[in-house]
Amino acid sequence: MTLLNGALAFGALAALIPIILHILNRSKFRQVEWGAMHLLESVVKVNHKRFRFEQWILLAVRCAIPILLALCLARPVLTGSRMLAGDAPVSMVVLLDTSYSMEATSAGVENFEKAVDAACAIIEATPRGSEITVIQTGGAPTPLFDQPLFDSEAVVRRIRSIHAGYGASDMQQSLDAGLATLAGMSHARRELIVISDFQPADWSGSANVADSIRQQVESMTIKPALSLLQVGEAVVGNVSIESLEFSNRPLGVGQQLSVRANLRNHGETAAGNARVILKIDGKEQSVSQVSLAANTATQTLFPCSFDEPGSHVIEVEVAVDDPLKTDNRFAAAVTIWDQIDVLLIDGDPVSQPLKSETDFLSVALTPYSFGRMKLTDLVKTKTVSHKANLKAEFEAQPKVVVLANLPQLTDAQTNEMQRYIESGGAVLICAGNRIDTAWYNKHLFSRGLLPAEFGLPRGKIDDKGQSARIVAQRFEHPALQFFNDASNGDLSTAEIRQWYELKVPADRSMILTALQNGDEDAAAAKETESKTVVMARLDNGDPLLVEKTIGDGVVVQMATAGDADWSDLPMRPYYVPLMQQLVTTMATQLTPPKNIRTGEPAVAMFPADPESAADGAGDYSVSIVVPDGSRLNLRSTKQGNRQMVRFDGTRRPGVYTMTSPDASSVHFVASTSRDESNLEVLDRTALNTLAEQMSAQTIASPAAYLEQDRLRRNGREIWEYVLVALLAFLFLELVLQQTFSRVRT
Amino acid sequence: MSGPRLAPTAHWFLSMPHVADVLSARDIGKFVNLQVLARQVVEGTCSGLHKSPHKGFSVEFKEHRQYVPGDEIRNIDWKVYGKTDRLFIREYEQETNLRATILLDSSGSMGYTGSRSNGLTKHDYAIRTAACLSYLLLQQQDSVGLVTFDTKVRSYIPPRARPKHLQAIINQLDKTKPADETELGDVFHEMVAKIQRRGLVIIISDLFGDLDHLLKALAHFRHARHEMLIFQIWDPDELDFPFRQWTQFSSLETANRRHLVDPAQIRRAYLEKLALFREKLTNGCNRHRINLVPMSTDQPYSDAVAAYLGLRRRSR
Repeated sequence: MTLLNGALAFGALAALIPIILHILNRSKFRQVEWGAMHLLESVVKVNHKRFRFEQWILLAVRCAIPILLALCLARPVLTGSRMLAGDAPVSMVVLLDTSYSMEATSAGVENFEKAVDAACAIIEATPRGSEITVIQTGGAPTPLFDQPLFDSEAVVRRIRSIHAGYGASDMQQSLDAGLATLAGMSHARRELIVISDFQPADWSGSANVADSIRQQVESMTIKPALSLLQVGEAVVGNVSIESLEFSNRPLGVGQQLSVRANLRNHGETAAGNARVILKIDGKEQSVSQVSLAANTATQTLFPCSFDEPGSHVIEVEVAVDDPLKTDNRFAAAVTIWDQIDVLLIDGDPVSQPLKSETDFLSVALTPYSFGRMKLTDLVKTKTVSHKANLKAEFEAQPKVVVLANLPQLTDAQTNEMQRYIESGGAVLICAGNRIDTAWYNKHLFSRGLLPAEFGLPRGKIDDKGQSARIVAQRFEHPALQFFNDASNGDLSTAEIRQWYELKVPADRSMILTALQNGDEDAAAAKETESKTVVMARLDNGDPLLVEKTIGDGVVVQMATAGDADWSDLPMRPYYVPLMQQLVTTMATQLTPPKNIRTGEPAVAMFPADPESAADGAGDYSVSIVVPDGSRLNLRSTKQGNRQMVRFDGTRRPGVYTMTSPDASSVHFVASTSRDESNLEVLDRTALNTLAEQMSAQTIASPAAYLEQDRLRRNGREIWEYVLVALLAFLFLELVLQQTFSRVRT
Repeated sequence: MSGPRLAPTAHWFLSMPHVADVLSARDIGKFVNLQVLARQVVEGTCSGLHKSPHKGFSVEFKEHRQYVPGDEIRNIDWKVYGKTDRLFIREYEQETNLRATILLDSSGSMGYTGSRSNGLTKHDYAIRTAACLSYLLLQQQDSVGLVTFDTKVRSYIPPRARPKHLQAIINQLDKTKPADETELGDVFHEMVAKIQRRGLVIIISDLFGDLDHLLKALAHFRHARHEMLIFQIWDPDELDFPFRQWTQFSSLETANRRHLVDPAQIRRAYLEKLALFREKLTNGCNRHRINLVPMSTDQPYSDAVAAYLGLRRRSR
């Protein structure tokens, strides 16, 4: 306990006054010669001991009165709960929820405004010399500053300038980041304050999160104090678009794309006749109306097509009046391909129609051209003989190269192909009767350019009894997912009469076997080879299509021939979409994704500038426009023959547009989980439980936090209580005096 | 300025030496207008203002009163009827001699004087009261005697009715000083034996002492068929215990009996004890049909005595 007016405490010496008076009274007494002694003596005799006891009690009470008065004037402060000196600086990390749900309004005020006000109030009250940092939890935990600042005013100014609207918060990651930051700070007193709306979605598996955080805190050398401050309140009646679904297959100009929007009404009241609008590149394309019953989800389908190749943004928006506008729209990036160049290297060229090894492939890839239709094929094929100048063809950088029944390559051609693949090329190797499997195994498989080793030929062309069929399972590979819909064709109807056994070098079982044998090196080797994926199998278990990623490129190996010699695939109606899907997927899947999650990097590949490529420096300049409208400049890094541009600041959901020097734009759309669209928040009980599990405390308001902090620093002033005690003692003195004079007779 | 009209005996009394020292003229003026009337018939040896048990002897007219049905016809004053044409009854009063003995307490406790008693000790107040009563009784030709006592009888002047007897009483009162302890019971028992003839016994004392013993002694008096009149003398300090600062109370009667106390602390207890004492005494006196008159030295003693005598007369 300390005293604010310590000098006044000397007033307690006034306690001597009653004692002195008592002594003086006893020494300077009056003498009276008394007649009625028999009355006096009987009173004194009966009550002698009690008089003495009561005198002591009265004396004690009278002594206590000046002591209490002096104590009251001295303004005592209880410092029993004080944990540090009043002006000791603090290391503080504020986790500020910047997720899009904080844009919800309650009582006409945006929750994020309340959060910012709370954070500023707390930070402004920190003592001079405190080090402060703020971590935004929206999307991915992101510190607001590179280093903690010691200037609280600067921190407040910076906080005032930020906005919410980022992706859903991952509180586990955010708390981890906050504790890690605190661990590196310098002051003895450490505070971690979480300011959020505390939606249940952010704390899914909260018990585990809480346990993990508590364990982390307990393991820290200097344990920080965790505080949870909830802003805003539960709001009902929000409508959101949860996702857009559309096909991932490559699209060409004029090709139709069906966009399915999933809408959900989180409210208890129906939203009738809500307008749902499809926009392409910001222009309204079509409109539909939906009725959303309470607590239900619905879908609406928009067919659309694109007139121009390149990167486009489709956006679906539902026009309703609800507390949270951010989630009323959902966007996606779509790439429309102008033309995919495919080089067909024919290993068995024949002048007769449909007799050559690549004829069926060529027809399948360019059906409109073959049928002389007005529609434009997405794929443009070029067929060359295996005796042509393949080096020049590879240098032309076709999107896909098909080796159809090619006996073998020269070493130079092999090297050229390897360079092509590693720089992002795609090669489809089709088997056939002319290929030299031994050469393939020796020169390609051994160099890692072949997904699987060619084994023995299986089946017989003229013996249907030995034929095999494709297993019509659910295909995981994007190139074959088209056939998961039975209406697009049943691959199992095709008859594969002859094929090569493909020895996939390492699948998971082989790694496990190697581990079981104790051969860890072999297991590691198998692990590296596990980039090989079996896309489809025959019903006897042999792989039919095997894919392997090599560098930036990919190689797909087909166990049977591409023409109709070994199978009747080309005779099947689904041969065209099969080959189209396979080739276009190979051509496009190597481009980085344009629809990303918030926090994931946006990566774009641009053709290398010939001039800059000469010196190998990556000085390709790209600008990017982020969702809040600001423009940033990015530098590229050279990767193979291309320039790669990477942007990591995608925490805010929305459209990011990269523009290259040649004015071509690439759109990225960062999306986040729409779990936060359900604007329910943890109620007081759940929040207290969470805080208890985390060994944290809940704060009702910034004022409550500051009051608590003030108590921790300065203790509690108790002069009011002392004053009450003083009055009580004065009253007690009166009562005792009256009571004690009522003596037994 | 005209003073009260004095009776001839009063002028005679005032001419006596020493009496004026004890009674002021104003006091005497008040007393001559009063009549001391005994409550009961006491056997007397000479006629006076008191009723005699001997019928047809020394009858004196007292007053007329309106006739009411039931009164004896023979008592009607026919002369008055002849004058006024109204019926009046003649009332008579027989008188006899009263033998009064004043017992004056001269113990140490009577020596107390407080700040509100004009410098008079209780003893001073008591001797003035005794002188008043003696004067009045002698003025009415009654016999009066005086006994002073503390633990035992210190002086005894037998009752006489001669006017000069007052001088002897006054002389004795003047010599009396308060001292020693009190032993009322023994003294009173002793006095019962000494006062052979029935009469009025007037006790002027603070009655401090063993109350049970005292009441037994008073009962003894009553048993001897004496009329009892007790003036209990209080100092105001003894009645309200006004002391504030620490005080050492020393006994007026016994040396080395002293108590240092905080008066504020014991005041209530003292007053309760006092009330209990007075209640017990009053009850005891009422039980034995003894007239107890509490008197305080801050009030004019003559007023108190006059008020009491007036009360006695009204009670007849």
